[in-house]
Amino acid sequence: MHTVNRRFILGRLLQVVPTMTVILLISFLLIHLAPGDAVFTVAGEHGDAAYYAFMRHRFGLDQPLPRQFLTYLGRVVNGDLGFSYVYGRGTLGVILERVPATLLLTGTALAIAVVVAIPLGAVAAARPHGAQDVGISAFALALYSTPAFWVGQLAIIGLSLRLGLFPVQGMTSAGSGAAGWPHAWDVARHLALPAMVLAAQEVAVLVRIMRSAMLDELPRDHVRTARAKGFSAMQALVRHALPRALLPIVTIIGARVGHLIAGAAVVEIIFGWPGMGRLLIASLQSRDAPILLGLFLVVSLTVVLANLLSDLVYAAIDPRIRVR
Amino acid sequence: MPPSTRASAFAELAPFIEVPSPARWRRLLRRDVLRRLSGRAGLTCAAVVCAVALFGPLLAPHDPFAITGGSLGPPSAGHPMGTDALGRDVFSAVLYGARTSLLVATGVSVIALACGTTVGMLAGYYGGWIDNALMRATELFQVIPRFFLAIIAIALFGPGLDRMVLTLGLTSWPVLARLVRGEVIAVRDLDFVRAAEAMGLPGSLIVRRHLLPHVMPSIVVALGLLYGQVLLLEATLGFLGLGDPGTISWGMMAAQAQGFLRVAWWLALFPGLAITLTVLGVNLLADAFSSARAVQ
Amino acid sequence: MYHHDGQRRGPSPLLLLLALAAAGCASERARRDPATLVAAIGSDPGQLNPAITTNGGVHTAAGLLYDGLVALDDSLRPTPALAERWEIENGGARYRFHLRRGVRWHDGKPFSARDVKFTFDKLLLLYHARTRASMAPALSSVDAVDDSTVVFTFRRAYAPLLQQLDVSEAPILPEHVYAGSDPLRNPANIAPIGTGPYRFASYTPHSEIRYTANRDYFRGPPSLGTVVLRIIPDNDTQVAALEAGEVDWLYGVPGPARQRLSTDPRIRIIHSAVSAGGSNCISTLGFNLDRPWFRDVRVRKAIAHAINRPQFVERVLFGDGRVADAPISSGIAFAHAGDLPIPAYDTVEAMRLFEAAGWQQHGSDVRTAHAVRGVADGTSFTIGFKGLPGQMVYGDLLRAQLRSVGIDLRLEPLEQGVFTQAVFTARDFDTAIGSYCNGTDPEIGVRRMYVSSSVAPVPFSNMAGYRNPAMDTLFDRAGAALDLNERRQLYHQIQEIAVRDQPYVWLVETVSTQAYSVRCHGFGNVSHFAATAACTR
Repeated sequence: MHTVNRRFILGRLLQVVPTMTVILLISFLLIHLAPGDAVFTVAGEHGDAAYYAFMRHRFGLDQPLPRQFLTYLGRVVNGDLGFSYVYGRGTLGVILERVPATLLLTGTALAIAVVVAIPLGAVAAARPHGAQDVGISAFALALYSTPAFWVGQLAIIGLSLRLGLFPVQGMTSAGSGAAGWPHAWDVARHLALPAMVLAAQEVAVLVRIMRSAMLDELPRDHVRTARAKGFSAMQALVRHALPRALLPIVTIIGARVGHLIAGAAVVEIIFGWPGMGRLLIASLQSRDAPILLGLFLVVSLTVVLANLLSDLVYAAIDPRIRVR
Repeated sequence: MPPSTRASAFAELAPFIEVPSPARWRRLLRRDVLRRLSGRAGLTCAAVVCAVALFGPLLAPHDPFAITGGSLGPPSAGHPMGTDALGRDVFSAVLYGARTSLLVATGVSVIALACGTTVGMLAGYYGGWIDNALMRATELFQVIPRFFLAIIAIALFGPGLDRMVLTLGLTSWPVLARLVRGEVIAVRDLDFVRAAEAMGLPGSLIVRRHLLPHVMPSIVVALGLLYGQVLLLEATLGFLGLGDPGTISWGMMAAQAQGFLRVAWWLALFPGLAITLTVLGVNLLADAFSSARAVQ
Repeated sequence: MYHHDGQRRGPSPLLLLLALAAAGCASERARRDPATLVAAIGSDPGQLNPAITTNGGVHTAAGLLYDGLVALDDSLRPTPALAERWEIENGGARYRFHLRRGVRWHDGKPFSARDVKFTFDKLLLLYHARTRASMAPALSSVDAVDDSTVVFTFRRAYAPLLQQLDVSEAPILPEHVYAGSDPLRNPANIAPIGTGPYRFASYTPHSEIRYTANRDYFRGPPSLGTVVLRIIPDNDTQVAALEAGEVDWLYGVPGPARQRLSTDPRIRIIHSAVSAGGSNCISTLGFNLDRPWFRDVRVRKAIAHAINRPQFVERVLFGDGRVADAPISSGIAFAHAGDLPIPAYDTVEAMRLFEAAGWQQHGSDVRTAHAVRGVADGTSFTIGFKGLPGQMVYGDLLRAQLRSVGIDLRLEPLEQGVFTQAVFTARDFDTAIGSYCNGTDPEIGVRRMYVSSSVAPVPFSNMAGYRNPAMDTLFDRAGAALDLNERRQLYHQIQEIAVRDQPYVWLVETVSTQAYSVRCHGFGNVSHFAATAACTR
């Protein structure tokens, strides 16, 4: 059992290397296939000739292509993702300072989604095709079919502008300058609406997964035994089926990280949340290619690591896993 | 095959898919899908949107690019969905927008279907090192964050539907490939396939005559869900200003509404509603397919 | 959703939503600090060095930090700032400025004439597009005669200088911070040192920039302790924030919201021709005269006749501006020629001119060429339209209007850098839109649009590629003349030729609207709006 697990973990770890190499290759090819001189893509469009000569040399753009790729690889491995002219700084630093805001938003959204989706999924599974199930499933499907920006727009029109329940925009109140708990409360108020909007899509997916995982568990022996011992359906569900049904949730969260970040980008734009999504759209507008490519790499790495992590957690929890 | 297949392969779609069996394929559509409320609703939505995409220009009361009313007029008899800031008819634009959405989603689905089915069939049927190599490649493609890739490709190459279709298509096939592979592996060793092999039929014929029909229903379901996802992605890219400025898209309309949320709710409501109903229709249809089979 | 048996239900998402909503509700409107003023800006400036760019966002954000040699009062007359007084010598070809003594940079170092020379030589004349385009060709040198005297020497009489020395056209930067560095990459660009009424406190990208009062400001300390520029990209959201009391000052008000704000007793609205990007701006459609279909003036006239300009005022500006009735803005009263025959909206005349020029139309199709010089027969009149993304709304309306006379306009939104490259460097465009800020003198922002020497890879230079020796001569004479009447006549001739040749269509004059909360009062002109302001709770 242990050896299987160890082999599995080692194999998964080793997989990260070729995966990231391919992603780097894609980003490298994008730089070179884009119209115009590649140096504009790594160095921005506002420099002078001497600066371009320097950057051309630094990124090895004066060398043959395969050699260039190796140089590029070396740069990136050392954390050098290029230089942003717009910000006058290294790309990685600009991106990293946005990570906390995005992390706060996605983390909160995920927490909301899990807290809402697990009971909903469980209730739906308790009586498959009953009225509750149909209602909840329809609700989940509707959420799944709705674009995040639309939910955001409607939420702003209804909850912020008409009812005045939430601040319209930003991460903090503009004039406050508060610190400590009042500051935390201020951020929480601003966070509530964007986090709920972002959570909506995740709720949709998690409810479906929870429901089908519970349905898989319900006919199993230990659940039936519990029912036979006189536990109510709900008790049996919560005590015996729920814990095992949570397993797929762990997996899905890993696999949804890419979606979550993409969704966060849209939500950040609508709500003016100062995270990576705002950076993405601002860089898009200023054609700051180094930042765009840097974001692509950072997000890719996050997705790869999240997948790895969820596989490892899965392997740790579920003894059934093995290498086929 | 590393077990990660199991962990994250269908993480995306798995909970939505329950595969119908090929034998009851046609009857399933007629009797079971259409008997369900979700099936009828889905089919209705999808049919309406398809009709609008095909005949939208004939149905539209106005040229969506022309000034045909006052600035920011609320919904009225002449402009059932109101007018935008310049005085263009929102209803006509919504009708024209269907075509863009379906064009992108269809293009992406065709690419994903071609790549996914081919890779999945080859990997599942031949197994061994072919399977191994193809599945590794599939996994690589699967982790690429396609939303970000599409954004960057469009940013670097300029806006256009062609590059949108291409980037989304080339990053959307892995789910299909894994699904098809799994299905093929499940029937590869069944008697009728064995028998066909024993008769000396060529691989291509076995694939076409025996494997494909078996895999088809689950492909349809997965493709339906993929279609819905791509519709949402296309709308989101349009919302971010990455669509083709020469064609009307719902996402782009929603982006233009962003500056008028307080004074002109209709600008935000209708394009979003159009997207949601279209995606919902497709998803309901896929859902009806898979649950019809579950009850059988 | 209902349930048949005794099962307990999980918490519904609706409940959670309500709980969170209640939490939002419970928050009282934060009591505002009377010493803090919050203003909203639309975009992240990225950096805060106003001498290397004409980007309006940077000038808005950096204005409070710096001073010019002069300031401009409400009627745009020069008043003392860093320069206490000045003399004009040598028939208008030499300007001598006597600088205020005892002025210190925010880091405590003394300000001197060397800073002025350095700022012009190494920053403004190289990187500031308008100063470079207008002043550089005429300027012979800037010299620091002693610590408190600067002399500008020109090759010929140069009338508009005093209009070009305020903080938005020529902010003065510290030599000791920028000397010997690449000014585009100097770290002080995001942690600036100035002489202005406010010092830089902090910059949180895509969130806010904070400033604190400069207690040693040479005009006396400002009454506000802190100014926060809050980055709120969406106009509508900015208005909502003003109404909610989160923000006290808006640099601009979107048209649809103005009506509502003007009836709100808590809010005041002011209009001005000055915006952070420059003053007296005209949104202008430029034809690329190198393209064969625009060589014929009848085609250019026809397009001008096909454009319904009042509709632009109504639906793009929402009333915030006026139809441009001359090539030079009405804001430069002495030079503005409002009596010229600018083509009026007349689609019949437009169609006639198109037909006459060989562009025929069948039914309501796109026009096609018949014996048009340089254009193959049957070529359809499909032309591109390039502009910054924020100006595509002009393209949307233009496309709608031109469709009705059989012209197909293809919109091509381009980001700033790409736009400059495509339009001014590569000259790869059919038509393009630019906001040409005329400034306070035609020399500042009008000359660059027409003289042949400014057909150059410089942003917002001679976009049309218009070359006319008579025009060049007239501009040289008008720039050198010191008599206002003589200049008026010369600019009148210039505009007559411009209207006759129509290298551009002057669409609308834009004005900027500012709004503020009645909590605050005493605002100054845009760049230093907060220097004299005070707020109450």
